[in-house]
Amino acid sequence: MADEQRRQELLKELHEGVVEYEDDRVKQAAQDVLDEGLNAYDAIMNGLAAGMEEVGELYDQQEYFVPELLMCADSLYIGLGILKPHIRPEDIGASAKGQVVIGTVQGDVHDIGKNIIKMMFEVGGFTVYDLGRDVPLEKFVEEQLKTDSEIVALSAMMTTTMMGMQKVIEMIKEKNPKVQIMLGGAPVTSDVADLFGADGYAESAGNAVQEAVKMISNLRKLQNQ
Amino acid sequence: MTPKERVKALLNKQPVDTMPIFSGMGTVTVQAIEKLNYRFAKVHTDAAMMANAAIETAEIFDFDGIVVPFDMCTIPEALGRGVSLYEDAEGLLYPTVPTKWASMEEVDLPDSFDGIFSQGRMPVVDEALKLCLNHDGGKLGIGGWVLGPFTMAGQVMELDVLLKGAAKDKERVGAFLGRMTDLVIAVAKHYEELGVDFINIREMGTGTDLLSPRMWKNLIKPNMEKVFAAVDIPIINHICGSTDLIIEMMNDCGADGVSVDQKNNVVQSREKLGPDALILGNFDPYGTLVQMEASEVEGVIKKCIDDGVDAVWPGCDIWPDVKKENVEAYVAAVRKHGGKPSPAVGRL
Repeated sequence: MADEQRRQELLKELHEGVVEYEDDRVKQAAQDVLDEGLNAYDAIMNGLAAGMEEVGELYDQQEYFVPELLMCADSLYIGLGILKPHIRPEDIGASAKGQVVIGTVQGDVHDIGKNIIKMMFEVGGFTVYDLGRDVPLEKFVEEQLKTDSEIVALSAMMTTTMMGMQKVIEMIKEKNPKVQIMLGGAPVTSDVADLFGADGYAESAGNAVQEAVKMISNLRKLQNQ
Repeated sequence: MTPKERVKALLNKQPVDTMPIFSGMGTVTVQAIEKLNYRFAKVHTDAAMMANAAIETAEIFDFDGIVVPFDMCTIPEALGRGVSLYEDAEGLLYPTVPTKWASMEEVDLPDSFDGIFSQGRMPVVDEALKLCLNHDGGKLGIGGWVLGPFTMAGQVMELDVLLKGAAKDKERVGAFLGRMTDLVIAVAKHYEELGVDFINIREMGTGTDLLSPRMWKNLIKPNMEKVFAAVDIPIINHICGSTDLIIEMMNDCGADGVSVDQKNNVVQSREKLGPDALILGNFDPYGTLVQMEASEVEGVIKKCIDDGVDAVWPGCDIWPDVKKENVEAYVAAVRKHGGKPSPAVGRL
């Protein structure tokens, strides 16, 4: 019982530390999790990720905006850096979702949304191959083939670079129709995603967090069942 | 009225014969580029090609006004941040800034911005503007545009550093934005001296998709007020993205008009700002001119006018690879429905 009480305390510290973007608080709580022999994966999913879920809600309610999102994400990343090396294979085995190739398409140097999504994939146990930004289109195809990744996540912040994504989708689907394509970025709408033949989309950094959070929430529910 | 007279009169809220067709954002099209036998990647570095691409677009589609340049990198490039032109890439790609400052410590701005007009492609832009101004006896309305201070800052510095700094490192970010404001004013005044008919300040990275209204009030508005106070010709405050929560502050910065994109509820904005405010907008350029069927375009344009804009502007740059028939439908719809007075601008 005392262990469960302490677990709840530390999960709350991690959760609130992310929401309030208190880096030191997250750092201390993550270290306490390790020092006290608690489960690192549980702390990531039910502490850090749960905190980011609330951040997504605050963004949705227009209480938080992108500066807050970025600061919360920084805090989460600090906790993740401490806890992730201590995840046990048996914890992540059931919920690991495979591999993702992610990047911002050529002509676009905006990568805030991409970096947040990358982090949330990492939280979810995915192996992430980050190609960075301003990535030549053929590089996505090469990396997917090389890594045999199940998901390719493409980001474009501007209408003027969005068109490149259609070509990447065509090239990847031609080689491997089973690959799931996620699109992200301000100009991307569900119509555009449909038109381009993508499997999912997120329209902004905040929306990307929410989409990723949904994914993580589902993982947490499965894990907690 | 000539196209130039029409544009100038509208921006001065004087009566026009009919609503002019122009924008404060890029309106170059592939139809013009192909007719001139140019490559898109080349029009950014040659004054004659830049001017011809803009002028030819206006000639093909009967636009009243044009703007140059087409990309957002000329000033960052002049500050030493470089430019990626993608001359070997397939398809249409706009230039980008390859080397932004990664921290506040790296920022290295000149004491005076007087020297930037001889750097990078700034002389090319000047020459292109002069060619546009002199074309066919100066018949077209010619606009210059500059990114707003915050958006300019995001072009020379990593945006995440800037956004986090706006909350965590207010003093240094505030000082940096002050210098960006001086830069924007220097460029806007320079274009004014070249003889452009209007200036569009594109503070597009500051909608409430990104920043809170409170941050807009404290961090963006004071700098925008300085920019608008410094320029004597008509000057527009353009922000794309979510603007419903800040539209009153946008209108209260001292600009001659506001420009918004398709996310703005113009009916409500008109109610908030009253009949005298000049509102420009607000159709989705990609959805309307690239994706839609031409038969659907008139409805979109008519709705902008019915909602209460004074001139129909796209919400952002027109994606150059437009459907010709859609642009023709856009122009026809403005000519058809723009004959009656708009809230802030009467008719001759």
